[in-house]
Amino acid sequence: MTAAISHLDLLEAESIHIFREAAAQFRRPVLLYSIGKDSTVLLHLARKAFWPARLPFPLLHIDTTWKFRDMIAFRDKTARDFGLDLIVHINEEGLAKGINPIDYAPSVYTDVMKTVPLKQALDKYQFDAAFGGARRDEEASRAKERVFSFRSEGHRWDPRRQRPELWRLLNGRLGAGETVRVFPLSNWTEKDIWRYILREKLEVVPLYFAAERPTIERNGQLLVLDDDRLPLRPGEEVKQRRVRFRTLGCWPLTAAVPSDAADIEAVVAETLSARTSERQGRLIDHDQAGAMEKKKQEGYF
Amino acid sequence: MTLVTVLRPAGAAARPEKRSELPHELGGMLRLLTCGSVDDGKSTLIGRLLWDASDLYEDQRETLKRSGRTAGGTANPDFSLLLDGLVAEREQGITIDIAWRYFDTGTRRFVIIDSPGHEQYTRNMASGASHADLAIMLVDARHGVKKQTRRHAAILDLVGLKRVILAVNKMDLVDWSEERFRQIEADFRTLTWRFGFWEAIAIPVAAVHGDNVARRSDHMPWYKGPHLLEHLEELPSRGTSATGPFRFPVQTVLRDGRDFRALAGTVSSGTVRVGDTLADVLSGKSARVARIATMDRDLVEAAQGKAVALQLDQDIDVARGAVLAKSDALPVVARTLEARLVWLNETPFEPRASYLLRTATDLVPVSSLEIKALLDLETLASRPSAICQVNDIAIAYISLGRGVAIDKFTDAPETGSFMLVDAISGASIAAGVANSLGTEAGASPANAFLLTRAMLERGLCADLRDSPEDQRELRRRANEVALVLRAAGIAVEIESFEDYQI
Repeated sequence: MTAAISHLDLLEAESIHIFREAAAQFRRPVLLYSIGKDSTVLLHLARKAFWPARLPFPLLHIDTTWKFRDMIAFRDKTARDFGLDLIVHINEEGLAKGINPIDYAPSVYTDVMKTVPLKQALDKYQFDAAFGGARRDEEASRAKERVFSFRSEGHRWDPRRQRPELWRLLNGRLGAGETVRVFPLSNWTEKDIWRYILREKLEVVPLYFAAERPTIERNGQLLVLDDDRLPLRPGEEVKQRRVRFRTLGCWPLTAAVPSDAADIEAVVAETLSARTSERQGRLIDHDQAGAMEKKKQEGYF
Repeated sequence: MTLVTVLRPAGAAARPEKRSELPHELGGMLRLLTCGSVDDGKSTLIGRLLWDASDLYEDQRETLKRSGRTAGGTANPDFSLLLDGLVAEREQGITIDIAWRYFDTGTRRFVIIDSPGHEQYTRNMASGASHADLAIMLVDARHGVKKQTRRHAAILDLVGLKRVILAVNKMDLVDWSEERFRQIEADFRTLTWRFGFWEAIAIPVAAVHGDNVARRSDHMPWYKGPHLLEHLEELPSRGTSATGPFRFPVQTVLRDGRDFRALAGTVSSGTVRVGDTLADVLSGKSARVARIATMDRDLVEAAQGKAVALQLDQDIDVARGAVLAKSDALPVVARTLEARLVWLNETPFEPRASYLLRTATDLVPVSSLEIKALLDLETLASRPSAICQVNDIAIAYISLGRGVAIDKFTDAPETGSFMLVDAISGASIAAGVANSLGTEAGASPANAFLLTRAMLERGLCADLRDSPEDQRELRRRANEVALVLRAAGIAVEIESFEDYQI
């Protein structure tokens, strides 16, 4: 007798299994916490994996100093509420040199304020494993990523040294100088993240919800001004618009979208149905409308 | 307008599922492995399935239509472009690896594990198959069942796959011939009959045109069976089976700093209820389940696939590596195993190398590894061999430095499979399944050196006390010492500590 398990329950159990395997096999793991929705789910699953014990590893946030203020507030509140051991690391050298997302190319900025400090922190605290929220559905190149992704000395990723993974066996024995990135959300999709946030009633950064915010339009995108560090160009005008964010990052590099989705239900509905309207607009001719309606009743959307 | 094919056939869509109760959740999940080579039209088949049945993004569809590339002499877009990553990779000649793709129909999540089919990728296919619930094997109708199909079936069987579908593709190129299909179907039956599959069916398709992929073909009225998607939708989702013996490989011990001490793990087989008596075969101790704890709530029962924490009524010293079971069906404390394994690493088998055996949650030094025979994937016969290299499937005899809790693969797959790990580099060397188990120490090292606890405690481990952490460290050091000795050519056994765990 075999009973089907809901796909979120399967994903949850798999992630918990991965967390426990990693915590048992590595000496000094850390959870890379970036405050967004994926990190929220990652943290929740980690808490489930070790409950009622405390998380057996700290959280690490690489602060570029350009995150939205709401994100930082949310981060600190989360750490407080759950009694987490939070490490915040900034590349002080980059900061002193004034590397910022406005005057520097995104590649330079990202390297100096994100990639370099991550390596600095991993080395400084001697972490041998770092949990990340990457998913295989994000892009084609991630479709082959392992759950345990090995890095050689100097944090280099060598595709030929990646280990085959079979069944549920996770081999975490490290060679000399090796470290590992662990991806418990490997098999989740973006929709699953939102479905799970709704199901588990998880709190997320308020920026994901629509509100009136001071915005400017630049290169066809809406930027929300989080402080006065971004000089306005001639002709740009600050306007209150009802917007929200689909992803969160450094505020001058993150575009908002017009939306009325002001709570979690509305955001999930908007995410799950984002393609529906397009589909309805473009793909269904009138003969098929009945069939689509039927699918809708069955919960297809 | 051709785009209406995006709708799944009404018959499949109308399957009664209690969707209203799960507005944001899919009823279940099914993982499919697709195996076959580019020439068989595999990318086209997967692309067609995504195009016809999935919730592809609109921009992905637009891109495909605008690409201007069409599929083999038809007006259809080239569906294989949906798997572009793979194609590019092939052109660049980078290592071909398994790729994961996800799509949802109205009722469930499909995970497509795409694996390369050629001989030099046996290991990739084995890894992919080990995660799958069923496999779609692809053949070209013009060529029928080939050596490669035989090899694929053998690999699927090795990793324990139970359901296979043979997609006989390019039926348009054999004039939709029923005779041709029946012939291939008969060959397939003859082939699968010798393996342990529960279900093996053949479906005639023409992926380029969409015939029998997500809609019934008008060209083959003689075929009365389900089309591919219909068949996929009818198969049971990845589920929980209550029939196997209960197995709970302990991953780690959780403590809340007060009186809570529980064993964390995932039920790998069977079911456990509060009040059940569970035994740990390594220590020989048993206790009752006092509580099945999760962060959400306590459970009365936990079945296969559930990740929980078990609190026992007595504080028996059970830790990672133990496999909790019920006394009527216990795993074996094995010192030797005969196994079938697939060699994964570029470095061939080396009798003097140091290997570790990784079971569900245990890691134990291998005291000797002997290759007995290799499986000839073309004839499916085994021939004696003492060597083994990448992509080989071998019969091997393994002696362990100490006992490990393990099952025969056919009794409990998750606790009957293992990985061989290189003790120095940490690389995953081979993956295997246990065919038979022996409880006596291997016969070969007659004059083996016995590494005792007392020996370790007086020097190397003099700094360690009785705490669980220190005891774990002691066992880790014992393993490492055994590895060093073995690397120096000394056969070594580890004294069986009464409460031995890692």
